[in-house]
Amino acid sequence: MIKVDKLSKKFPQKEKDFYAVNELSFTADKGEIVVLLGVNGAGKTTTMRMLSTVLKPSSGTATVEGFDIRNKAQQVRSRLGFLSGDTGLYSRLTPREIITYFARLYDVRDNIIRERIMELSDVLDMGSFLDKKIDLLSTGMKQKVSIARSIIHDPPVMILDEPTAGLDILTARNIVEFIHKCKNQGKCVLFSTHIMREAERIADRIVMIHEGRILAEGSWSDFKKDTGLRDLDDIFIHYVNSTSEEEVSDGS
Amino acid sequence: MDLKKIFIIYRKEMLDLLRDKRTVITSVVIPIVLYPLIMIGFSSLMIRQETKLEQQFVDIYLQDKSVTEISSRIVDSLQTMDYVNIYYESEDYLELIQQDILHAAITISDTLGATGYELFKITITYNEAKEMSKMAYSKLRNILLEIETGLVGERLSAIQIDEEILDAIEIKADNVAPPEQMLGFIVGKILPYLLIVLTLSGGAVVASDLVAGEKERGTLETILVSAARRIELVIGKYLTIITISLITVFLNLFSMFFSFKHLMTQSGVDTSSVQLPLSNFGLILIAMLPLVTLLAAILLSISTYARNIKEAQSYQMPIIFAGMMLAMISMLPGFELTLGFALLPIINFALLFKNIMMGSFNGLHFAVVVGSTLILDILAIYVSIYLFNKESILFRTAEEDKTLKFWGKEKSNVFTSQFIVIFFVVMLLLLFYIGGSWQSKDLMEGLVKTQIFIILLPTILVLRISKNNLPQVLRLNKTRPSNYLMVLLMAVPALLTAIGIGNVINYFFPVSETYLKSMQELVGLEQKSIWMALLVIGILPGICEETMFRGYIINGFTKNGFWKAIIVSGILFGIFHLDPFRLLPASILGFYLGYLTLKTNSIFPAMLAHFSNNSLAIILGNYADKIPVLKNIFQDDQISIWYSIIALIIFIVLLRSFHKQNRTEELNFE
Ligand SMILES: Nc1ncnc2c1ncn2[C@@H]1O[C@H](COP(=O)(O)OP(=O)(O)OP(=O)(O)O)[C@@H](O)[C@H]1O
Ligand SMILES: [Mg+2]
Repeated sequence: MIKVDKLSKKFPQKEKDFYAVNELSFTADKGEIVVLLGVNGAGKTTTMRMLSTVLKPSSGTATVEGFDIRNKAQQVRSRLGFLSGDTGLYSRLTPREIITYFARLYDVRDNIIRERIMELSDVLDMGSFLDKKIDLLSTGMKQKVSIARSIIHDPPVMILDEPTAGLDILTARNIVEFIHKCKNQGKCVLFSTHIMREAERIADRIVMIHEGRILAEGSWSDFKKDTGLRDLDDIFIHYVNSTSEEEVSDGS
Repeated sequence: MDLKKIFIIYRKEMLDLLRDKRTVITSVVIPIVLYPLIMIGFSSLMIRQETKLEQQFVDIYLQDKSVTEISSRIVDSLQTMDYVNIYYESEDYLELIQQDILHAAITISDTLGATGYELFKITITYNEAKEMSKMAYSKLRNILLEIETGLVGERLSAIQIDEEILDAIEIKADNVAPPEQMLGFIVGKILPYLLIVLTLSGGAVVASDLVAGEKERGTLETILVSAARRIELVIGKYLTIITISLITVFLNLFSMFFSFKHLMTQSGVDTSSVQLPLSNFGLILIAMLPLVTLLAAILLSISTYARNIKEAQSYQMPIIFAGMMLAMISMLPGFELTLGFALLPIINFALLFKNIMMGSFNGLHFAVVVGSTLILDILAIYVSIYLFNKESILFRTAEEDKTLKFWGKEKSNVFTSQFIVIFFVVMLLLLFYIGGSWQSKDLMEGLVKTQIFIILLPTILVLRISKNNLPQVLRLNKTRPSNYLMVLLMAVPALLTAIGIGNVINYFFPVSETYLKSMQELVGLEQKSIWMALLVIGILPGICEETMFRGYIINGFTKNGFWKAIIVSGILFGIFHLDPFRLLPASILGFYLGYLTLKTNSIFPAMLAHFSNNSLAIILGNYADKIPVLKNIFQDDQISIWYSIIALIIFIVLLRSFHKQNRTEELNFE
């Protein structure tokens, strides 16, 4: 599970430091899909990068399976499957080679690697292109390879940054179903998107963020009750507006 | 650190790279194919030339004035020669030989020798200026010598004396330089240079791909979140660069060696003694490993620092260039490895290599070379790991990429460090190839052309085309008159200090006499007037080099701060002198000039300082032994250490008051 506690990230800027993530706190439990929802630049990727230990938090912290991301990076990384938004793959290698490479880095034994690849290739329907060079694959095929690569070591926690971006509906649905299966196996999934429908379909809980801060947290039914609105987009905009009003009233 | 992980990473990188056509072509295919092609082409050209000559008929006029039994035997032997036409009648053979219509004439006459034997006098008339005629001569001479041996043999056996009586002295040419040493000498000059350049260029292609390439393709983040530690990633990649560099180097060397051997056998040179001294190769390998690893670590750091492959390549260029320059020391005459040189990377390897090839190296030097390179190597790896842990380096957002499109409508940015590095390298290449050839033709004229066409004009051109306001960028600003006075006051102590520093450097890293002599001849003023020298070495660099370095280049780094701009532009200024021994002194001068410019926000003080420094150096160089006061200060071109220290103190005092007088102006003009 993931526990985020007042996590902040500031990037030094010429005039004034810029907070990409600002005192974010939430949790994601075992067997739960939590969606980070926010517009472009809201701070979703930055948050996920901190959780996966490639960025250091400026303040606050988080734990993954009980390990602090600030000083137990190695333990965190080996329990994490991380898929970043603009993930690349080694274009001269084949999916099987890439997946095997990462599995070995995670200390998975070779016979288990073979089994896992067969399993994942079944679920994600990758059998036809497992041994073709990445160069020759389509965007959707590559995304499947990326997903397989990031969870080959069967991690208890999965962090997926916009895994369906740029995919057609069939492939996107395929992947969403796969994530559901993972959840049912008891994994903790943190998933980011700015597509409201997707968030609705997949999420147990939604964390709406805007300009690095939390707007609202809960399930869609909570949000609907809370705002009295039915359209997802309207709900999101409602929350965005309400905070900016607060800011205005704070300022006066 | 887990060795198994490192091996996994290493194996994957090798697999990935060996599938990359670019890597395979540059490090495997080119060396295997290139040298044989060059050598075979070359040798077949040579052979064809030779056979062509030998297989052409030569025309010879033969006159037998003796007409004895033996002389007709000589004529018979001449007639059996291949590719020879013999004519027995000729009107004016001398004329014909001069016109190269006839190639030689041979006249046989005989007299009785003092001992009663017949002596045949044979005159060969030929034309030394003509290839064919020369060849006819040597053909005739050879066959006549053969005939002579035969005749003498007959005469001796007629009086029952053994032919062996003729062999009283046997001359055997025995060159004191053993073949290994001779070869080592040739190989020691060129091979170390090639090895260093090949290692660098072989590693550079791979290194830029390994980290900067991963950033560009978005795969870096995937390995950063994997369970591999940073240090394992760095070392895995680092071993990959080393492997590919070594493969490149070995393939180049072997291909070169066999092609060389092929050339020698084809051209008929005896190659039985040509062997690379194999017993020394082990030592060279041991000495080379730390160097290869050092270069690999530097290339890896660059690749980690760069945002993308293009940027990595532009940062690699000056490193490769500096490596080439330092390696060139093996080609300069008279340098020997000393303990001081043993501490300088690349230079130490080039000199040690020569010694090992000559079979005369010193164990202590060997250990110092290997040890000091290893220490630097560890430092460089440490830098790579440090960079690999720094998120601000790994996740740098790309600077706007409009650097190369500077001829557009609007004013564009020619002040990014990337553009300036490319500009600098291009200027350096122009200076090296074009400026060098101008200067070797006519030194003074070459220097003038270099300053104006290679240094000044391109700088102005870049700034004009990119629509910059020249007076503003170049800082053609007025400054208070007292600053000029201060600069002039500082000129003498500055120069004396500089000479003192030069002497200290020379003490630790002695420059060879032959090299010094050739340098002195270059700047000697024997036939040139002092005014001409002041113009060419004083005024022109004061204007042109200042425009390039303090007018343009320094502005690329002012965004990094006052001191960084001064230091980076100063070092580039030092490198621009294309001489490892002037790197440090010229860089220090560069710091001083950069400081003057940024401090006063005007280029004029630096121009004046540059001019007065160079001019004073000329005057001292030519009049030091003629003026009594100077004679006191300089003894044998050496300045007494005490004068240097006094000069340094005066310089510092003056500089401090200069510093206080001038408030630092706003650095950026945009
Ligand atoms: N390395 C960096 N240096 C400086 N600023 C950064 C850096 N990385 C991200 N930012 C800034 O932080 C903010 C949040 O970025 P982030 O990538 O987390 O947004 P996001 O929610 O993932 O957006 P998107 O939906 O577009 O992926 C942005 O304004 C971005 O410009
Ligand atoms: Mg994002």
